Amino acid sequence: MSTLWDTTGTEVVKALGAARRNGAAVTSGLALTFVVVAEEKQVEMAEKAATTAAAMHPCRLVMVVRRENTAPTPRLDAEVSVGGRLGPGEAVQLRMYGRLALHAESVVLPLLAPDAPVVTWWPGRAPERLATDGLGVLAERRVTDCAVHDNALEALRIRATDYAPGDTDLAWTRITSWRSMLAAAVDSAGSPGSPSVAVAGGEVYGRPDSASAALLAGWLSSRLFTRVKVVQPDGGAPHENGQPDAAGISGVRLDLDGADPIYIHHRGGVGVVSRAGRPDSTAALAEREIGELLGEELRRLDADELYCEALAAATGTSGLGGRAPTRSLIWEDPATSEDKAPLGTAAEAKAIGRSKK
Amino acid sequence: MAVDTRRSRRGAKAKPPQQRPGNPLRDNADRRLPRIPPPCALVVFGITGDLAQKKLLPAVYDLANRGLLPTNFVLLGFARRDWGDGEFIELAHKAAKEHARTPWREDVWKRLAAACKFVPGAFDDDAAFDTLAETLLDLEESHGVAGNAAFYLSIPPDSFPVVLKQMQRTGMADNVDDSITGYWRRVVVEKPFGHDLASSRELNELVDSVFTAQDVFRIDHYLGKETVQNLLALRFANTLFEPVWNSHHVDSVQITMAEDMGIGSRAEFYDVTGTARDVVQNHILQLLALTAMEEPVEYTPDAIRIEKLKVLRAISLPEDLPRYAIRGQYTQGWLAGQRVPGYVQEDKVPDDSTTETYVALRLGVQTRRWAGVPFYLRAGKRLPRRVTEIALTFRPAPHVPFTASDTESLGQNQLVVRVQPDEGVTLKFGSKVPGTVMEVRDVAMDFLYGTAFTEASPEAYERLLLDVLIGDATLFPRHEEVEASWAVIDPLEDFWAGQQPAHYRAGEWGPAEADDMLASDGRAWRRP
Repeated sequence: MSTLWDTTGTEVVKALGAARRNGAAVTSGLALTFVVVAEEKQVEMAEKAATTAAAMHPCRLVMVVRRENTAPTPRLDAEVSVGGRLGPGEAVQLRMYGRLALHAESVVLPLLAPDAPVVTWWPGRAPERLATDGLGVLAERRVTDCAVHDNALEALRIRATDYAPGDTDLAWTRITSWRSMLAAAVDSAGSPGSPSVAVAGGEVYGRPDSASAALLAGWLSSRLFTRVKVVQPDGGAPHENGQPDAAGISGVRLDLDGADPIYIHHRGGVGVVSRAGRPDSTAALAEREIGELLGEELRRLDADELYCEALAAATGTSGLGGRAPTRSLIWEDPATSEDKAPLGTAAEAKAIGRSKK
Repeated sequence: MAVDTRRSRRGAKAKPPQQRPGNPLRDNADRRLPRIPPPCALVVFGITGDLAQKKLLPAVYDLANRGLLPTNFVLLGFARRDWGDGEFIELAHKAAKEHARTPWREDVWKRLAAACKFVPGAFDDDAAFDTLAETLLDLEESHGVAGNAAFYLSIPPDSFPVVLKQMQRTGMADNVDDSITGYWRRVVVEKPFGHDLASSRELNELVDSVFTAQDVFRIDHYLGKETVQNLLALRFANTLFEPVWNSHHVDSVQITMAEDMGIGSRAEFYDVTGTARDVVQNHILQLLALTAMEEPVEYTPDAIRIEKLKVLRAISLPEDLPRYAIRGQYTQGWLAGQRVPGYVQEDKVPDDSTTETYVALRLGVQTRRWAGVPFYLRAGKRLPRRVTEIALTFRPAPHVPFTASDTESLGQNQLVVRVQPDEGVTLKFGSKVPGTVMEVRDVAMDFLYGTAFTEASPEAYERLLLDVLIGDATLFPRHEEVEASWAVIDPLEDFWAGQQPAHYRAGEWGPAEADDMLASDGRAWRRP
């Protein structure tokens, strides 16, 4: 590991090259560059998650921490390691101060693994328009997380407005186990003789402000061609009234054509499938750590069409799939622009919404 | 796949336009959703055996822990023990906890334990099998397994006939066609699949008469390994390798499967089996088939099987068997700093045993692609280290503009597929040594799955068990392949019968005869 204080991008590239030569065996099989855009207070969480993800996928990890972009003199600090504290692969951590933070891509571009895909992840609030962040523009895949916003549904709407193929959100990744369980429940809903059943509709029980619940309902809507809504559980029968999981979903009801509905509810990390006349069955529905969610994201490097459909249905936007997959940089200078923070609070979102109109 | 805009939410109030047939929540483009088998029961005969405890039960737990088992799943054990469900659950708990690869989670185990059932009985006990059949019927009601069941025969092959007849008698195997009955019944068979062509035919006919051929899954755990599947990807997804994958460019192929272990507690089985029947007939010939096969028309079980079968049937034995079919047996020696006994000194091995613990062979593949390329195979126990690999050695360049002294340390180019350990691919080629003189030397370019990255890849048994329950037969050899493999081994066994094996010290790379065999061809074994 080497640490460089007040350095330049060229020095970082040299340090990485030297580290690679010293630990040549570790670097083979590089599949992608994983760029993490973190704020100082998220660094610990982001490091842990990125390390877990890097252990699952051979990648070069480039972590960018922007600090004090009002500092008078630009400055770059870097830490380069191969097979060290930041996972088994190559890792570069960059801290950028002053105006340099606005030109982070100038340091990152020469650090990207040659001809390998780039994935950018914002552990905190992502910019309202990803095109305003150079580190998002250079990525083939962009991973955001609506759940970190105070108003997650508004954040989801912003993601839909800004959507380009290749974007995904961790709110979507969090519901993979739910989706898998629902699909399995429908698989086994048939009876010997008529193995397949038609699903007429359903409802998602959960917190109305949960982006994951909205996406789950959106996914069901797009698959079933019928409006599936998120409703707050009202304390009815126990099978309708699970505990909300970490993503804010407590249960789902699926209505079948000419058969009793299937209820799936969550209780302490376990999903219970119940249906009249059949024994209950259970499956794991455990909360996954951010690192594992990222591991799932890094597994696919092409656009996720199902997310696109679910997002469209959840937010009532259309034509998302037809957009261009690449963005070009929109220059926004916080010194001259009105909103300085990387948006996301409800008030800001509203302000942005107004400016659109 | 392009996004179908008609599937947008517009007009959702109207009658649902066109829900797809089958499960509307499943989509091929949805690669996040894991493949999960339909509701089913896994019935294991011989659940108290070594393999069941070390591999099968931990694999079931690992699958459950990774959320890959259906919600309606039952593990049904059958063995000659005076046990109830409780004792069985205890055994499963111990086996799973000790050998599972994934972290231990009590809640996962509790759910799995609730799905564990045990039926005691001997294989010739009609009443016990009636109970088993009834239990299976009850489970349809109580656990909603919908009649689907996989029977795992983790039992010695000589018990197969009686168990299969019992299944036939009780109607447990009755399922000619899934699409008519609406449920499936499958059987999983472990190696050895017979001990020669005749016995394997007999066994296959028996199994296929009770179950239908497509419901028989023969487990060859080598085929579940990530690198073996990667071999198909390497060859058929790339442009780079296939053009040189033939006799114009390949000089020879070496397939090595070395173990540092001795025979352990398997003496009785091993002494009547030997290396050729134990690993060459199945694992090594399967590796050879995957290396030499033509491109399948599609990635489906049938298409792949057709191509593998063509290769297995095209295998030719050398005419000069004494030179090209070497058997060896290890004697006392030192391995990895420890003194180890010779084969005949192992427990329960007769002093005059002529069973081989090492085999080296030269085979040919009589196709246009491979005619003239020797396939050198070797497998053995108590070799210096555990390694399995496939190495293609390429012909030397027809003309080299450098002087002979410049290229003195330049060998032939090699492509090595490392099956285990250090799963990956190595390409060996010449490169200039830095300096003022022109000197070319071999260097290696490595692709390594790497220890840090293989943790996520499933263990072979997990993968294969999942495939059985899903009904994907891609990685399972069918009976034609087994029979074609025996047709290769039988003449060798006939030739070896009554001969003394050559000896090698434990901890050596095999007997001197094996080295002579390659030396007489002007080649040498690669040190893996």
